[in-house]
Amino acid sequence: MATFELYRRSTIGMCLTETLDEMVSNGTLSPELAIQVLVQFDKSMTEALENQVKSKVSVKGHLHTYRFCDNVWTFILQDAIFKNEECQETVGMVKIVACDSKLLTQ
Amino acid sequence: MAATTTSTVYINVIEDVVNKVREEFLQSGVDEGVLSQLQALWEHKMMECGAICGPIERSSLPKHPGPGGSAITPVHDLNVPYEGPEEYETPTADMLFPPTPLQTPIQTPLPGTSEHSMYHLPTPSDYPTPQDSGGVPEVKPGRPSPYMASFDFFVVPSGKRKREDFPPQVPRTGYIPQQDGAGDATYDVFQSENLVYPKQSTILKLGKGVVNLRLGCEEIHALKQPLWLFFASEDYNTVNTPAGHELHATTPAVAAPTDQGGDDDDDEPPLNENDDDDLDDVEGEEPNTQHLVLAQFDKVTRTKSKWKCTLKDGIMRINSKDILFTKATGEFDF
Repeated sequence: MATFELYRRSTIGMCLTETLDEMVSNGTLSPELAIQVLVQFDKSMTEALENQVKSKVSVKGHLHTYRFCDNVWTFILQDAIFKNEECQETVGMVKIVACDSKLLTQ
Repeated sequence: MAATTTSTVYINVIEDVVNKVREEFLQSGVDEGVLSQLQALWEHKMMECGAICGPIERSSLPKHPGPGGSAITPVHDLNVPYEGPEEYETPTADMLFPPTPLQTPIQTPLPGTSEHSMYHLPTPSDYPTPQDSGGVPEVKPGRPSPYMASFDFFVVPSGKRKREDFPPQVPRTGYIPQQDGAGDATYDVFQSENLVYPKQSTILKLGKGVVNLRLGCEEIHALKQPLWLFFASEDYNTVNTPAGHELHATTPAVAAPTDQGGDDDDDEPPLNENDDDDLDDVEGEEPNTQHLVLAQFDKVTRTKSKWKCTLKDGIMRINSKDILFTKATGEFDF
């Protein structure tokens, strides 16, 4: 199954990375196994988002920067408003990083 | 509630990862206690930054988030004994064991087969090897063979090589002598000029029709000055409007040093750091953005300054809250 490393930058991914980092540093875990865990995380996170999440979101804002490089879109929005079924959030500056979904379905 | 749902999904992901790497751990001869330690540490960190709700009673309810799951997520759960010394933001493992290309999953989705056939470019390895033809390859000049393309790379530099020193405007295969005025040159003169002063010959070409080959070295140097400033203009104070000077530069008058004063009416100071956009500086330190959306895009379109995109399967960290979505639509104005 193809996956992205993208989600490693999320809260859960960063917490895992830190955990693995500590365990490799103190010799509890080999770097090879740590990478295996990260690869499994990529898979599990992608599956969970596909199968367990139902929420829809709309985003509006001023596009400060856009970039498309290596099949990855990066947007930096100013004064962005995020809305979903339950809540609305406003942020002054937000970065959106998006990989091409078609790469996973091939 | 979004927070609860996110927490539930996160707990399920942790569970899933731990279960699926167990086999690998056992095969590598690693004690299962290490895996439990990993899970505990991971969950503690997650609770610490408020991404999952604690306590997790997994042992009794392995597939459900537990009673704490219905509680409102605290930003920092003070009931958790863990006191992490590190800031949540520090990405250290990436530096410690950067993903090797072999194990980088992003490499795998990139299609090796389908795209390869579409954008097939012949590389040397695609040509039949000498072994395929069963002997030493023989290049027949009159007939296009696969070897012809790669043959060029193996040509031993010879006298002919000189032609490649010509400026790119001159066709590689045929030399066009200039016969249109004062810059007339015979092939031999031009070629020798090329060999000795490749740079100057370029300049002579630029000023063609005006400069002739009888110019002495000093004159060439004087002429070179404004042109040089135009092309690699580092000194913005000397030449402010290169476009105007380009024309002047082709006349001999510009070779005189008196022209250096600059007759420009443009009083605006040259570009300097005061002209930098402050926002661009902020953008230069991109990781500064604390609010982050990680997702996959289905479609990104633009009409004039209106951008629209559809995203899916995303994780957002907005105002210290994690929100997951299956679909997102974005409308931005640039």
